[in-house]
This record gives sequence, C-alpha cells and structure tokens, in this order.
Amino acid sequence: MKVRIKGGIEIVLRGQPVQAIQAANTVQTVGTPSMDLWGIRPDVLVAEGDVVEEGTALFRDRKRPQICFTAAVSGMVSELTFGAQRQLASLRITAGGHARRQFKRPVAASRDSIQALLLESGLWPSFVARPFGRIPDPGSTPDAVFVTALDTRPLAADASIVQAEGREDLARGVSCLSHLTAGPVFVCQAPGEPLVQDGDRLRCVSFDGIHPAGLAATHVNRLFPLVGGRTVWQVHYQDAMAMGALMRSGEVSGQRVVALAGEGVRRPRLVRIPRGADLDELVQGEVGGGAYQVLSGSPLGGRPSRYLGRHHWQVTVWPRPPSETRRNWPGPRAQALKPSAVIASAALSRSLALDLPVLPLVRALSVGDAETAARLGCLELLEEDMALVTYASGEALDLAALLRSALDVLEAAQ
Amino acid sequence: MLGVWSRGTVGWVIAAALLPPLAVLLVEQGVSAAQGIAVALAAVLAWQAVFRFTAGVPMSPTATVTAVALGVLAPGDMAWWQLALAVSFGTVLGESVFGGWGRNVLSPAVVTLAFVYVSFPEVSHPPAGAWMALACVPSAVVLLAAGIVSWRVLASSVVGLLATAWALDGQPGSVAAWGGVAFGLVFLVGDPVSSPSTSAGRVLYGVLTGVLVAYLGHQYGALGAPQAIVFAALLASIFAPLIDQAVLALWAYRRGRRHA
Repeated sequence: MKVRIKGGIEIVLRGQPVQAIQAANTVQTVGTPSMDLWGIRPDVLVAEGDVVEEGTALFRDRKRPQICFTAAVSGMVSELTFGAQRQLASLRITAGGHARRQFKRPVAASRDSIQALLLESGLWPSFVARPFGRIPDPGSTPDAVFVTALDTRPLAADASIVQAEGREDLARGVSCLSHLTAGPVFVCQAPGEPLVQDGDRLRCVSFDGIHPAGLAATHVNRLFPLVGGRTVWQVHYQDAMAMGALMRSGEVSGQRVVALAGEGVRRPRLVRIPRGADLDELVQGEVGGGAYQVLSGSPLGGRPSRYLGRHHWQVTVWPRPPSETRRNWPGPRAQALKPSAVIASAALSRSLALDLPVLPLVRALSVGDAETAARLGCLELLEEDMALVTYASGEALDLAALLRSALDVLEAAQ
Repeated sequence: MLGVWSRGTVGWVIAAALLPPLAVLLVEQGVSAAQGIAVALAAVLAWQAVFRFTAGVPMSPTATVTAVALGVLAPGDMAWWQLALAVSFGTVLGESVFGGWGRNVLSPAVVTLAFVYVSFPEVSHPPAGAWMALACVPSAVVLLAAGIVSWRVLASSVVGLLATAWALDGQPGSVAAWGGVAFGLVFLVGDPVSSPSTSAGRVLYGVLTGVLVAYLGHQYGALGAPQAIVFAALLASIFAPLIDQAVLALWAYRRGRRHA
C-alpha cells in the first residue's frame, strides 16, 4: 500500500549528514537524561560502584514494577544522585568490558512470553502509547501497533541505510509485535521495496512525501485515526530491530545509529553510539568555531541535553538561540511583551499533514481549551508532532508544552 | 529553530504588498493622499505604542493597511480630526483591545472605514480607478505566493461577485469599478486573521463576500462603491467564526462516522 502525503514543509539546512555509518569518538559515559524519566517514578536497583552488564536492570517504575530500564553499556555505576523526595537526579555508567546479559528466549512465542521478555530486557519502554504518549501498561492491548520505519526530520539518518544491515531482525521484531495486539501492525516505510511481507494482520505501507510524512502521527491519522477511544502503540524501527535481535540471540544491544549533524559539526555523518551517550564526549573535537549548543534530537523539537534521549535518533549541533531581551523593545519600563499571535498561513496549514484543522487546533491549545482541542483531534498528537507547527508559526508559542498541558487535563478527566 | 512565517514576517510581507497601491495613490492624488495616509498612520502607531507600553500588546506593521485602505476607499475630503477619530476607533476597538493583530476578530481597517461611512455620511468618496485594480495584481500575486492570502478566499469571492453582478445587472462592471473591489478583496477580505481558518470555510466566506459586494454595490447604484466593499467585508468577517464552527462540527461528525 502506498500513501502520498501532500502537505509538509521542505526545510533545507546546512550540515546534512553523509548517509554512511562512520567512526566516532568512543563514548565512555552514558547517563539517564531527565526526559527519559518523564511520567515514571524510578526505583533504583543498583548502587554506586556496582559493576553492570549491558542489559542489567538499573531502575524500575515504582507504580508498574514490571517496567525496568537497563544499562546501555557494560561498566561501572560511577555516579548516582537523588534530588528532592528521592527522585533520581543522575545515574551515570562509565563503560568498561563487553559483558552482555543473556535473556532466556521463549520456547513458544505467545503474547505473555513476548511481553515478559520485552519487559525484562528493558525494551518495553521503547513503546509510546497514543493518546497521551506514556509507556503502555503491561497487560494492556493496543488496537494497532505502528512501526515507524522512516525518518523525514531535517538532518535525520536515512532509515534504509540503517535497515540494510538488519532486515531479518526487523522482520523478526515485527512478527513478535503482532503477538501484542489483536489488531493490525503497520510498518510505515519510505517508498521502495517492502521491508516485510504483508500478512494476515501485517501491513507494510510506504509513505511518500516530505516532513512530517515520517511522523507516527501522520501514519496513525491516515491509517487508523484515534476515534472512539482507540489506543495505538508506536515503536521506532531500530527498537523493533533490537526486539528481533533479542528473539534471535537473547541479547540486547544498547547501541544505536544516530545522525550527528548540523551547522556546527565539521564532518556530519551517521555514528553508532549507546543510548544515553554523553553528547559532550561524542562531539569533543568535532565542533567548528562559533556559539553552538548540542541538541538531543533534530533541529525541530530537539532539546539541549547532556545525554541522548531514548526516543532521539539524532544529535544536532546547532547555533545557540539569541537571547530574548533584544526583542523586548522598549525595555523594562514597559509591560513585558505578550507572546505574539499565530497568524494563518499556507505554511502553517501544511505543517501537520493530517486530516486535522491546524489553525483552530493551535488556537484552542493557545487558550488552554483542552475540550475543544480534543474535539479537533489533539489526542492523536504528541509533543514531537508539534515541532514543525511551532517552526511554521515562527515559534510564537511553545505548542509542544501547550499540547502536553491539554493532554494532561484530558488524561486526568478520563 | 525559527520558522519563516512568524507574525512579524507576515506583517511585513503584507506591508510590502501595499507598495503598488500606495504608489498609484500617490501618483494619482499627490500630496493630499500623502497627508491623509501620514495622519492615519501616525494615529495607528500612537495607539499601538500606547497598548505596547501599558498592556504589552506587540506592535504590528499592518498599521499600514489601515492607513492605505483609508486612502484607497475613503479618499473624500475629510478633516484631520475626522481621520484621527476614525482610526482611533478602528484600531483600539477593532484590534488593540483584543490583544493586537492576530487576536482580533474584525480587520481594524474595515472597522475604521465603516466608522468613516457611518459617522461622516456627508463626505463623498470617489471610487478608485483602473490603475488601482492593476496595482493590486502584483500585491495579490505576492500574498498568494507567500500563502498569506488564501487562494480559496480570493477565487471564490471573485466567482461569487461575478455571478451575482451578472444576475443583478447582466454585466460584471467596468475595469474602473474594480479598483476599490480589488483592493478590498486582497487586503480586507483576504486578511488572514479575520477570514476563516478552514478550507471549506474559506470558500463559503469568499462566496458570501462576493455576493454581498455585488448586492450592496447594486443597492448603492454602482459596482465598486467603496461602502459596498467595506460593509460586505464587515458582514462576512462577522460571520467568519460561525462559518468555521459549522465546518468544524461537520468535520468532526464525518470523521466520527467514517472511522466508527
């Protein structure tokens, strides 16, 4: 099946990565960025100084203790600090050795056995449930699963390069996903040879178009809109490949391929680094002169972070934004400038390539009207989908934050 | 990363698109037009600055739309205080009290012009000529290419206008009559803020405006009467939120049914 996405915005940027996986600085430290702890209350299972294997559980969610988070490298826990109310503040591992934890593969693939394996191996948190964007509850069943097997974000890695070395793992991972739902499993890929064969509930769909053609929101909106209380899970193709590799070998690799790109990088390219990699170590000696910051994620919606986020597949070295004070004419004696309004434009209408009314949705979000936003389809969206809308509207509003507060209101009302 | 179509950029593009009509105005009417525009612009900017200082409402280059619209659609012999009063009413009650350009419901230029026609009916306003119609073509091209004016609004309003004019008079009016109409359609009716935000809503709104322009023009005795355009734009933009609501309700209903 082919879907042609008509909307979208072409963003041409300097610092496009060479689409080949090349050598990079060896990252010695991995950490847990605060964005990975969103929505969970960690119960730490290790102590400072412990030696861990790749795949050892580091902490689990206090409310849902089956969900555990594992080490991306083998080494030693070199820093473990807690903030207020014993909330995990930082957990760093200094790499050393190549010990990998072996997981017991199920004899017969079933819903329960696969769920147990994914939970134990720390791959469960790679699922993101829509609506609301949380790690799904173990035992819950989605109405459909979406594998996002293309990436159209600016400066992203070409998914086909990464998939080329693990197509069998991807197919194996996708087939294990089909045990988790009674509904369809959609593999959404770039145009080209199908990554997996269409099956009973397995649909391989190619999406042709510019960003946001590669966002899960676009796929969900086209193939399985969230009406009537539906729930879907989305998972990135590299995580699906990791699931396939786990089924094959009983091991989970914490390594992933990310695009190291952006104006500030001397040699933009694809690199293989561990999840949670210390980005300062990664870009050491790679950044050209100028005021740059390192973002975990794409230039659209990426965040300044010390460590690579779990749901980020890009590292962007990007100019530091100018300070706010310069815009605030005529200075401190006057009232602080109110955020400027979002003006309708063709670019804004094209920024969500969805069958959703963009401007009414943006207006509802900007006044905090969660109910109207829900009627206009905001339950289909997550923060990552608002990045292009924010860009198109000239960053007048932090739409990702506004969407999150609307989703919080709607979730609490459920 | 900063996108292109911020409020500031859109405002400046609209201001730039006003240059051809402004040039025609200055060539045709000379100093008197320049004086009127200067007074109007000064009044708008003064009110914008007041709201900037006291309420933090961001200023906007679309102040120029009000000033030039007065020159094009209300070129009659008005005293400076009449101009200043109309502009103050239009800017403050049409825009600033809502939080500035982008949060307003009606276009401040339309409110200003409506105030002029209602409050000073003794002043007569000669219609803009054929050159104004031609000058609006490059403006329209720029604004359409930038995606600021919706082609749906413009196309459907022209269709609605022609069809209604034909039905009422049997002819679409002379090119000269189109001077004010063209300016009004591009800068007042096409205003991205006061027109609807849904695709279907834009078509409905365009047709409604076109029909109203032709009908009111017929009532005023001439297609292209400035009053016809302004009151048509005013009425249509009052209905714009309602049109959007209706379109969205229909959309939600169909979406629910299609995927049930």
